[in-house]
This record gives sequence, C-alpha cells and structure tokens, in this order.
Amino acid sequence: MEPLRAVHLSKSYGGTHALKDVSLDIRPGEVHALCGENGAGKSTLIKILSGVLLPNAGTVQWNETPLPLGRVHSVEAHGILAVHQEPVVFPHLNAVDNLFVGREPAALGGAWLDQSTMRKKARAILANLGEELPLTQPVGDMSLAQRQMVSIARALLHQCRILILDEPTASLSARESESLFEKVNTLKQQGVGILYVSHRLEEIFRLADRVTVLRDGTWVATSDIASLNQEALIQHMVGRDITQKPGSGTAPDESKNRPPILEIKNLSREGVFQKISFKIQPGEILGMSGLVGAGRSEIARGIFGIDPFDAGEIIYLGSPLSKGFTIQDTIQAGMAMVPEDRQQQGLVLPLSVETNLLLPSLREFQGPLGLKTKAMRSSGKALIEKLGIKTETPDHPAHSLSGGNQQKIVIGKWVHRLPKLFILDEPTRGVDVGAKHEVHRLIRELAAQGSAVLLISSELPEILSLSHRILVLCEGTIRGELKANEATQEQLLKLALPEEARRSA
Amino acid sequence: MKQRILNMIWQPETFLIVLIGILLTAMGRLDASFLQWEVQRALSSHVWELAIIAIPMTLIILTAGIDLSVGSVMGLSAITTGMLFQKGLPLPLACSASLLVGIFCGFLNGWFITRMKVHPLIITLATMAAYRGMAEGISHAKPVSGFPDSFTWLGQGDWFGLPVAAWVFAVMVGIVLWMMHGRAFGVGIYAIGHNETATRFSGLRVDRYLVTLYTFSGFASALAAVLFVARRNTAKADAGMGMELGVITAVVIGGVSIFGGRGTLIGACLGVLLIHETREFVSWHWNRDELNLLALGILLILSVVFQKLLRHKQGSAI
Amino acid sequence: MTDATSTHTTPPLKRALIYLLSHRAAGLFLFIVLLLGIVSVMNPAFLETQNIKDIAVQAAPVCIISCGLMLVLVSGEIDISVGSMMGLLAACMGAMVSESRGHLPPGMAIVLTLGIGVVIGLLNGWLVAYAGVPSIIVTLGMLTALRGVTEIVMGGSWITDLPDGIRFLGTGAFMGIPISLWTALTVILVSLWLVHRTAIGRRIYAIGSNPHAAYLAGLPIKPLKLFVFAWTGFLTGVATLVSVPQLSVVDSGIGVGLELLVVTCVVVGGTAVSGGLGNLSGVLCGVILMTMISTVLIFMKLGENATYWSRAIQGLFILGAIIADHWISRQRKS
Repeated sequence: MEPLRAVHLSKSYGGTHALKDVSLDIRPGEVHALCGENGAGKSTLIKILSGVLLPNAGTVQWNETPLPLGRVHSVEAHGILAVHQEPVVFPHLNAVDNLFVGREPAALGGAWLDQSTMRKKARAILANLGEELPLTQPVGDMSLAQRQMVSIARALLHQCRILILDEPTASLSARESESLFEKVNTLKQQGVGILYVSHRLEEIFRLADRVTVLRDGTWVATSDIASLNQEALIQHMVGRDITQKPGSGTAPDESKNRPPILEIKNLSREGVFQKISFKIQPGEILGMSGLVGAGRSEIARGIFGIDPFDAGEIIYLGSPLSKGFTIQDTIQAGMAMVPEDRQQQGLVLPLSVETNLLLPSLREFQGPLGLKTKAMRSSGKALIEKLGIKTETPDHPAHSLSGGNQQKIVIGKWVHRLPKLFILDEPTRGVDVGAKHEVHRLIRELAAQGSAVLLISSELPEILSLSHRILVLCEGTIRGELKANEATQEQLLKLALPEEARRSA
Repeated sequence: MKQRILNMIWQPETFLIVLIGILLTAMGRLDASFLQWEVQRALSSHVWELAIIAIPMTLIILTAGIDLSVGSVMGLSAITTGMLFQKGLPLPLACSASLLVGIFCGFLNGWFITRMKVHPLIITLATMAAYRGMAEGISHAKPVSGFPDSFTWLGQGDWFGLPVAAWVFAVMVGIVLWMMHGRAFGVGIYAIGHNETATRFSGLRVDRYLVTLYTFSGFASALAAVLFVARRNTAKADAGMGMELGVITAVVIGGVSIFGGRGTLIGACLGVLLIHETREFVSWHWNRDELNLLALGILLILSVVFQKLLRHKQGSAI
Repeated sequence: MTDATSTHTTPPLKRALIYLLSHRAAGLFLFIVLLLGIVSVMNPAFLETQNIKDIAVQAAPVCIISCGLMLVLVSGEIDISVGSMMGLLAACMGAMVSESRGHLPPGMAIVLTLGIGVVIGLLNGWLVAYAGVPSIIVTLGMLTALRGVTEIVMGGSWITDLPDGIRFLGTGAFMGIPISLWTALTVILVSLWLVHRTAIGRRIYAIGSNPHAAYLAGLPIKPLKLFVFAWTGFLTGVATLVSVPQLSVVDSGIGVGLELLVVTCVVVGGTAVSGGLGNLSGVLCGVILMTMISTVLIFMKLGENATYWSRAIQGLFILGAIIADHWISRQRKS
C-alpha cells in the first residue's frame, strides 16, 4: 500500500507562519515520530492532517489522489484518525455516545439512531483495547486514564489506517503508558501507520521507526531512528548543541542544623491524600515524585491555600498556619507557587510582561496620587534582566513570548517578593529543551540564595538531577524518601507503582 | 512614534468622539432647537440615573461579569423609599434605608456569584426577577407620591448651574477614575477580566474585588432610585424597568469589551452620551418611543459585532 | 473546610435529599404531589376538573417553548427573547387575520406566523453562531428591539376582531381535550425523539458538554446552534398560535415576562446553565410546578395580593435551583 504523503503544506495566521512548506510521509505499519520544540508547528500539522484546519497551500495525498482537507468527516472516512492531546470527550455523555457522536450509524439519515448496534460496537472496540469501561456512566465521572482510553477508542471506531497520536502519555501514569505502547505495537503489526508526537525522547527511541523534526514551522530532517542518538535529535530540534549536565543538583546539604522553613504534619484530605508529613530546610530542593493522580499537586495546592484539607498541620517558619488560611495569607507569609497550567493559572496572557511580573506586588507601588510607574518600570526591567526573559520591551503582552520565557515570568513574578518557600508544579512541562536548562538554572539559583524549594515533576531525570531529597508518593501516601545522589530511576518508579501493579510486575 | 499616534486614533474613544460630533451636527441640521443649551440641560435630567449606574457596570463588565439586576434594584429601592415615607419615617432616614437595601441587594449578588461559582448572568437574571418581584409584592404595584419640595429638589433642582444628579455623577466618576489609575485596584480589575484564575493565584483577592463591585453596583442603583423618585415625585415598583438594557448598551458602545479586560470608564461615559443624545433626539424630533426601543436593541447587538471586528484589527490594549 | 462525611456516614435523610435533587424530575414530582396534597386539603375545589384543565391550558404554551429553550441551554447558550418574540408573533398573527387589517385566510396566517418565528430564531442563531455575539447580548437586544417592532406593527391600537378559524386553535377541543394540550403533547413527543433518537440531539448535548472537543471532533457547531435558536423560534410560533387566540384582544403587552417564566421552568427542571445537561422529564415537572404555583397561592386563600409576589417566587426558584446544584456538586466532591 502507498504511504500517506503531505506535500508542501503551509499555514499562516495573520502575518505569522505556523507551518512553512512542510512535507512528510507516513508508511503503513510504521511508527513515525514527530519532534520539535513548542511552537515548531507540530499541532498545526496534526490539525491539518486530521481535517480540523485547512492549509493555505499544499496537499495531502494518498494513492496519488489528494484528500479533501478542512473537514474532519471526509478525512476520517479515508481512515485517518487523530487522538488529540486533550482527550476529546464530552463529560456529560456516556461512553457509547462519546464514541459515536459526530459519526452516528446513519439510519434514515441520522433521524433514527440504532442504539443497540452502537452499544454492541462500542463494547467490542473497548474489549479489543483490553479496557472494561462502564458504558452508561457519564464519562465525566471516569478517571483521566479512562477518558484517554475513550478518546483512543473513538479513533479506532473507524477502519483506521493512519492513526495520529498527539502526546498520548501526557496524562497517563507509567503503567497506563506501558499498556498504550503495547496497543501501538499491535496496531503497527496490523499495518496501521502511526504518527506519534511526544516531548519524551525515551518514548520516541523506544517506539519509533523513523522521526521527522520540525523547527519554527519548517521541516528540518527525517531519518531512521537507528541512525540517531538523543544528542543528535535534540540538536536537530533546537538547532544548537546542548549537552546535559549530569546531576549537578546533588550537592551535599549543609543546612541540616537550621530550623526548617516548612514542616507538614499528618496532612490529610479524604480520598485524596493521607497522613503526609515532611520538612524542608532553607536552601533545600525537595523533589516530589509519583504517578499522575498520586496526590502531589493536591498537596501543593493544599499547602498554598488553594484547596482545603481535612486534618493535619502546616508549620511555616516555626509557627502553625491558622485554620482556613487563604492564598493571600500564604503569599503574605512569603510562599510562592508556580502552578501546573502556566497559561491558565500562571499568567494573564494579554497583559504586559511587566504587569505580570509585578502583579503579586502591585500594592507596593501605590502612591497617594497614582501608581509609581517609574519604580514599576525599573523593577520590571531588573527582573527581566535577572531572569533572562527574552522580550523587546516590558510592554509586550505575555502571550507574544515563547513557552519557556512565559514560564520564566511565572517564576519571576514571585522573585521580587523574595519568597522563602517556592512550590513548583511541573515547572518544565511543555517547555522546549533550550529553555528547560535555563529554568533548571533558575531553580538552583533560588535554592542557593536560601529559599526552600518543593519541586513536583513527572520527569524522573529532572527530579533526580535537581533535588537534594526525593519523596515518592503513591495513592495519596508517602511511599518512601530517597537521597537524590543514591536514587535511580528504577527505584523511583518501583516505589511509585501501586501495590497490585507491583506484585504483578 | 507614528505607530503610537496610529494607536491613539484607533482607540474606541476617538471613534466615539468623532461619531458623537457627526451625530450632533446632523441633529442640529434637522432641528436646531434641539441643540440649545436650555433644552439640552433640561433633557439631561433623563440620563443621570443611567450614567450613575453605568459607572459600576463598566467595572463589572471589565471583569467579564454582568449585572442584569440594576433596574430591579432601582425598583426595590424606590419602593423602600416610598413605603417608609408613607409610614411616616423622615425622608433622610427613608433614603438611607433604601441605599442600604441597594447595598444589600448588590452584596447578595456578589456573594452568590463568588460562592456558587455560577456565571453572573444567571445569578443576576434570577435576582432581577426576585428584586422586582419583591418590589411588586411589597407595594402591590401601587405608587407613592406627594414628596416634599425639599426632597424633589434632589431630582429637579440645580446646584451651581447644573442638576444635583450631575454633581453626584461627577464626584463618582472622579473617585472611580482615581481608583482605576492610582491604585492596584485598576490593574486588578483588568487582570481579573482577562484571567481570573491566574489573578487569584497571584494573590489578588478576586472574591473581594467582585463582591465590592457588585455591592457598589447595588449602591449606585439605589442612589439612582432616590434621584429618580425625587425627579418624578413618585415611587413605584416599575422604577428602572429596562434600565439594565440601556446601561449595558451604553457601556458596550463605549468600547468596553463584553468579554472583559478591555475598555475604559471614559469610553463608557462617551457611550452614555451617545445613547442619550440619540434617544432624546428621536423622542424630541419624531416623538416615537417605539423607535427608541428598536434602536436600542439593534445598537447593543451591532456594537458587540463591531467590537468583534475591531478586535481582529487591534493587538491587545494596555 | 469541607465536612469530612463520607458516603457510609451520610444520614439516610440527607442521602434521599441528594438523590431527589440530582434526579430533578423525581424530586420535583414529589414536591408537586406534596403541594397538591396540601392545597387540596386546604381547599378541595383545587382538584376540580375545570381547575386542573385551566392550569393545563396555562401550562401548554410554556411547556412548548420550554422544550426549545432546554435545547438552547443544553447547547451552552441562552435565549431571553422568547417573550418579546411571542408578543411580536401575536401582533403579526392578529394583524394578518384581522378583518379590518390583513384579512388573510387563517391557514396562510398560521404558516406565516410560524415562518416569522423561524426567521427571528435564525437571526438570533446567526448572530450567536456566525457573528460571535454572546447569546445573552443578542437576545437581550432582541428582547427590546422586538417590542419596538411590535409597537410599530400594532400601530397604537388593539386587535379585537380575530376570525373564528383562528379562535378555534385557542378555544377548540378534540376528544374533549383542548387543542393546545394536544399540541404540547406532540411537541413533547417530537422533542423526546429529537433528544434521544437523532444524531442532532446527541450532538447538541456534545457541543454544550465540551465545545473544544466538539470542534476537534469536527461537529458542525455553528449549524447546530443555528438550529436550536430556529427551533425555539418555531416553537414560540406554535405556542403563540395555540395560546393567543384564547384571548379576545391582542395588545402589545402579550408575552411580557414570559422569558423569565420559561427560563425558570427549564433551570428548575435541572437543566445546567453551563450546557450539556438537561432532560425533558425534569423540564416538564418544572413547567407544571411553576404554572400551578400562582393558582395554588390563590387557592391557599392567601388573598388577591399573593399574585403580586409571583415574579419574586420565580426569581427565588431559580436561585433555589442554583443553590441546589451547588450543594449537590459539593456533596459529590466530598
């Protein structure tokens, strides 16, 4: 069978090119990885291939005939299906409706739905995926992984010949990722061509046959995975040489005798986390590792005053926080948090870089007659310089910056307040390789200046190289504590797996 | 530099000033008497209540919220003034009580919105019915009149050459402008309008902001109600009926984005002026109020369509 | 802090309350039965056939429009122009059939009235879906603008000479049951089919449940939104045809405040304002409850004055529904 060919695709929004003259082919029975930094044009390419977007120029051909683009339906009819990064599910509908909505079996032109056939077919497909899901329950009540499965099952509903997977493991745990990889391999053997997008290089080297790299919307290279190593691939992606510094964060902790900045005693929240206790010293980076859903972010949100908890005590700088404390109280006391979702929770995107950087400290700049704009400007400039944020002027809106620079703003907006405790939740998620190093450098600097850092990360190499100590969480409890310079990825993973999975592993 | 001048011109405010200029010239051509100072001053008495409510409405819409209950709060406050006056309470006390009622109504809106996490449009749609219904229930839809001259002066009299209500409006605009530009408050309102969660996570007391704004809106509506009762010399449950539409239209025409985060108070005031002059002219020249209803509805929709179009042209404000 | 009650320690009374509030139809049904019980003990005349029939006839047009508005809310939008739309349609219908004005044959007037309803609905839907104006703004504008048009159509006078052909729609009966009730029944059946057995119905729920996913799944979001508004416009036309001819006079005040009553019924019936959730049985119970409540107040001998409170009661019911939803979602979380 012929491969699917994308030929000279271009797409621009307004004046900016999201994709420029990109060509690529996907052969049946291969896993073709698509790599590139954020903003390289991967998602635009996927949206064009799956029929969500219409390109400005170029075609997608199959067996020498061009495909009708810009309409999801007609592209799906050709057997090209996409699983998007955010699971495409409708929380109020049940699994059957979720699989079929938009492509219902057309009896009388969709005027009479054949519910029993739909149910039968759905059950068969889920069984084929090895999933047992309740068919009548609203999908909104299911776990994240189950939702992801629904979204994959939705793609497999059609006779699928090309499957596009966009960051499919982003919301999956290690165990669930494993079972996904198995399914990818099965489909591959059935002759399905797979376009696999991931930030995680380990996955790419494990699964892919070939890899295509995009940079700034243009094609850089396509080559067999066997002829590449990680360094070469990264170099393609960023266009410059970056060598990974090995575990420089494992410097011995000299602050043993100082009183802890934060002490958590028996913190519990019904059904989320139980009896969590730990301490962080000044200058220490405490890593928090575990699978998605182990309760890490929830603990962080509890400490920062976003979510309530049921029992336990938080002792900060030697005195316990009073019950019912709020975000304002913790910020006032010198805590800072970099939330998981940078764009939704960390930044006010349309406002300027300067306003975003000074938002938590605005009150300082209030004069009797007006805001002290000169003082704001100089503080803003100082922060931009200190953090190495790349922007033309402090007046540029935050959304005009790259992901890495945006993340520096989210960290930087606290730096002005000289916080004593930093809580970082997935600080490098979705940040490209170049900016990742700078964020890491920033985190080390913060600790070196005497702040305590609570670092939550799903990336094991990151947590191993940055932290001094690592807590491993599983199902809402602390499973173990490791010294970073003694720990290995295998140890972390083993502790993070739930009991039953460990026994069967 | 050239870019900066272009940006200045592309502001909605510039547009509005030009538009109002053109409209006034056209009206002058059609009917010169309309533009006489005395006529304008007399007609202006109709607008101050709307203008006063437009101030908090601007701030609320900037936070991506909306308050549909303003007209009903006016009704309830008007009835409070009237009923208490009828019961023999001294007028200053009756007025204070009605201001308190307004403040409480607004506070309740804010409290529901921040606690229930339901979109303000639904909460205020519900309270729009509830407050108006209470006004009707308490008063049995009967009017109260016969207020003393000392009270009606508030609505009908002048002070230093301008209606009393105009002074009230001016003072309120002054205070709010200072709050917007001189305090962290202003930046906070824009930040909430663009991204409430991120603003919350930056330590701003978003709930307090919102409760304050809706309470302010209730207060302003009650103030408008007192001025309205004084002007009409009647307190009735249907006071301020349909007021929400006029206020929202004026604010939106003034370039305040219904999606939050964009627009200015000055723009909103120009919007009020535009609405007012158009409305009065239609009544003055053609004497057909139904055309005003039609025009107001269409203007509201068109101005949002226009905002959408303009948004594509412009980058982000501030 | 949330209270730490888990499912095993929840007292049975609280569990029952949660069940009744989340299965809104069951809860409302129980409430209606209770209310009926109380009022018929206080005043047995309430249960007389004529009174029940009166309430049913009152409820019919509200029910017809609610079936449409529910879909608007499910798709994540809102329409508060239905009251003014009914006013305009009544004026148009009156002007068309009135012997002193249009003098059109009733059949043609019926088709034209429905047509105008659909056109206004399409206009609403087009402005929302294609021009991107928030539905609250569009329909708030329409709420006023259509009143203006109504005044222009009426031309400052009333219409009193409706011909019998049209009056039959309001006053006639088939097998002893008024036409309006048959119509409401038909609309309910059609809506049930639309919601449960057609692709369009499931897609409307999908776009309200998760608009972004609907976009990625290639669902025709804009045509669907256009459809729900047009459908509501059509049903408003139907409701006008079966209710307005009951009156002997058509004036410009018909349908004032109706939008609020309909929104109340739909929201009290358990339809989520945020989209994606809603069912017909709940809405139906909401309609019955909200239309009988003013009659109940009168029969409870609270006096004439009780009717002045009806609008306040509507507002309080919406607030009550919102509080109930909020409370349930908190209970679910803990």
